[in-house]
Amino acid sequence: MKTAATSLAEQIRHIKEAKKFDIRSGALPTWCPGCGYFGIHQGLNACIQELGLAHHEVVTVSGIGCAGRYPFFTSNYGLHTVHGRTLPVAQGVKLANPDLTVYAVGGDGDGLAIGGGHFPHAARRNVNINYLMFDNSIYGLTKGQPSPSSPVGMKSKASPFGTLDKPLNATLMALTYGASFVARLFAGDPKGITEALIEGTQHEGFAFFHIYSTCLTFDKAYKTWAHLKQWVHPIPEDHDPADLRRAFDLVLGDDFSTGIIYRRE
Amino acid sequence: MPKVDITVEVCGMAGDGTIAAGGLVNEAMSLGGFSVLGFDSYPAEIRGFGRCVTRSRIGSNEIGALADETHILISLDDLQSRSRVPFLARDSAVLFDSKPDTLLEEEQSLAAVVEPGTALFGIPFTYLATAATGTSRGRNLAALGGFAALFGVQPEWFRRVITRKFQSKGEKVLEVNLKSFDAGFHYALEKFADRLRPSFAAANVVAGPEKVMLSGNQAIGQAALDAGLKLYFGYPITPATPIMEFLAKYLPAKGGRVVQMEDEIASVGAVLGAFYAGARAMTATSGPGFALMTELITHGVMAEIPAVILNAQRGGPSTGLPTKTEQSDLHAAVFGGPGDSSRIVIAPSNVAECYSFTVQSFQLAEKYQTPVIVLTDFYLDNRVENVVMPVASEKEKTDGNLYPDESLQGSYHRYLDTESGVSPRSLPGMEGFAYVATGLEHTERAQPDYTPEIHTKMTGKRHRKLQYALEDLPVPVEYSDGGQLDVGIIGWGSTFGSIQEAVNMARERGWKVAALKITSIFPYHEKEIRSFMTKCREILITELNYEGQLANLIGHLHRKEVVRLNQVTGVPFSPSAIFSKIEALLQAGVS
Ligand SMILES: Cc1ncc(C[n+]2csc(CCOP(=O)(O)OP(=O)(O)O)c2C)c(N)n1
Ligand code: SF4
Ligand SMILES: [Mg+2]
Repeated sequence: MKTAATSLAEQIRHIKEAKKFDIRSGALPTWCPGCGYFGIHQGLNACIQELGLAHHEVVTVSGIGCAGRYPFFTSNYGLHTVHGRTLPVAQGVKLANPDLTVYAVGGDGDGLAIGGGHFPHAARRNVNINYLMFDNSIYGLTKGQPSPSSPVGMKSKASPFGTLDKPLNATLMALTYGASFVARLFAGDPKGITEALIEGTQHEGFAFFHIYSTCLTFDKAYKTWAHLKQWVHPIPEDHDPADLRRAFDLVLGDDFSTGIIYRRE
Repeated sequence: MPKVDITVEVCGMAGDGTIAAGGLVNEAMSLGGFSVLGFDSYPAEIRGFGRCVTRSRIGSNEIGALADETHILISLDDLQSRSRVPFLARDSAVLFDSKPDTLLEEEQSLAAVVEPGTALFGIPFTYLATAATGTSRGRNLAALGGFAALFGVQPEWFRRVITRKFQSKGEKVLEVNLKSFDAGFHYALEKFADRLRPSFAAANVVAGPEKVMLSGNQAIGQAALDAGLKLYFGYPITPATPIMEFLAKYLPAKGGRVVQMEDEIASVGAVLGAFYAGARAMTATSGPGFALMTELITHGVMAEIPAVILNAQRGGPSTGLPTKTEQSDLHAAVFGGPGDSSRIVIAPSNVAECYSFTVQSFQLAEKYQTPVIVLTDFYLDNRVENVVMPVASEKEKTDGNLYPDESLQGSYHRYLDTESGVSPRSLPGMEGFAYVATGLEHTERAQPDYTPEIHTKMTGKRHRKLQYALEDLPVPVEYSDGGQLDVGIIGWGSTFGSIQEAVNMARERGWKVAALKITSIFPYHEKEIRSFMTKCREILITELNYEGQLANLIGHLHRKEVVRLNQVTGVPFSPSAIFSKIEALLQAGVS
């Protein structure tokens, strides 16, 4: 036992020296244990660390939802706004002080439903911000109602007979809206998230990260860990992200390939 | 020296150069040293079609409002001008084109509809302009020439403002306009030599310091520029759009940027983001857009983020009366949105205040870390007044932010519950002071917390700030000679000019009447308002809305029920309507 404790203390010391977790705030994430968002948290934190960004020069702007809680769990500056307004506020921050690195984060409800009107304009305005959509295809915070990316037929308390509306495809929308950087990622692959974020953060312009996640508390049937792990796969090796047509082909033919789908310098 | 108070109208069809002619009248008379208040109305909905009217009230004394009646009508299109005849004063004068391209039927002519006593001056505008320049384009200028000759306006004033206006359009254009003006001037001088009415010359006004014609909207735009605005975010809406267009033209040269957003929610969101990061930003809108902004405005209140939001009121709920004037967004400005979310609301009442209040709004927002709403209205935004070009002092422009002290690095309480409620605010980029600004109820250290103690304490803190803000807010202005009063009128915004005029009319009759202008709508100066009320037997609150929104807000300060005078016609109060109400109140008091 004693050796184990020493080694744990040892480990903690190592971690502290590496300053790996300085990016985390004192507050422990309030997400449900096993929530996909932990993977995104890890991925984004690692990106900020690896790029060596000074924490006080990073601003995370969020909407409302479980995803919107993200800023509280980092030591950056944060701006937790109202439901759906992440993007306009984030653009205001960046335009006011271009030296800041700005991450806008929010859920699928936040970004595709109530805030859906801002998405095309942020994309075409191409202000140099990074937008991470945590897409669990459900309203997590309000306890499990269907979202604009839920599959047809999804049953929930709010849709006991199954939903009728077709899901939106955020990646496809971003391409259509003219976003200059589009990546599709998976919360179960923090390393993949970090890699894409590093590229996207350095990209001059609006960078969109569509991140599949799961709400294990309220979704027992659709975008579960088991399903997502089965469905998600890397984009083909030979994919050329500079080619918009191929990006469209890829996304139209395959809902679950992950990686950098499109980038325009 | 006879005082003048003359209202001149130019009326024509779109395309007649009506608005240009009215503008020149304003400029020329201002140059001559008169006070000028002008207002144009034209069909905003349909381009290139419809009636245009410009009204200019020209006086030797200060002017607070448009007058009810017109003394001189310059008709560029008689069919359109017929609609203006009911507004003509007794003994008024009408200038019309005696040889227009298309002659009206006898019974359609202006001459057929004016009251007997009206002086008619037929001047062949079209013919004179064409004969002098080969084109009829300057016929509006020929009309102005006639006006100058008949009423004793120095032609030099017009020549100077014409040159200023047309210089940049090339020599040819300038020449057409100057020659057309001269042709009209000489024609009228000779033709009506025995009927001249040189009222303006007789006033012997001496030109003081140079003045400029400025609309409320221009004053607001200029103030924002002078205050160091960095970012403007907006969405087009009448009557606020000219502010965005003004800034789009001038802000880039000052290193700033105008971003047309996708809606008003985005506009105010971006303003909050910009202020959070330390830049001065603003948005301007009207009722429908303001309604969309309310959630984020309360976010600014809760997260204590500054913002400057201008609401140029128009009429009615929903889309309402887009091109009419009303003061019916007071409730929305003060109370709109969820929760106990009081914020600062100030309302200028004239062009000079449009400038000074806009400059001040940035500092107030920074100092008290809350959205500041500047309430104007269609009539104030669009009217032009001649004013000495306002300049903001360095003091007025300085950064109102209170930054945290270095020594607090690492132990920073963003929402420290201080005596005034104002806590030092860090900006992203300041090391050791990172925090999360949140609209969730939060502790002093910006951590979400919904306990009764925290919500009670922090709600108190946010409201306490506003009471402290009172000392920086524009105080009520009293127009009285002191002593006890029979009727005290309280008003706000553009309506106050009409109130002042009505008070002047009452005082000329020796009545004990005075007025109080409220410029800080919220928080308001309770003490000053009460002390005015105490001096008055009756309090009359006059405003352009149905519900009596200011009366609802401050009426309780009076010891008895306040009297309300409300109007929702979409047009400003005429001073005489207010005067009649005073008269009625006084008579009721006597009986
Ligand atoms: C204007 C407004 N409407 C509704 C809500 C309630 N609400 C909070 S979060 C949310 C949806 C959250 O879903 P999503 O954006 O997908 O985020 P998640 O919780 O799944 O991360 C809703 C409807 C709100 N806060 N504000
Ligand atoms: S409710 Fe769902 S989305 Fe929210 S934290 Fe729990 S698992 Fe994650
Ligand atoms: Mg969701």
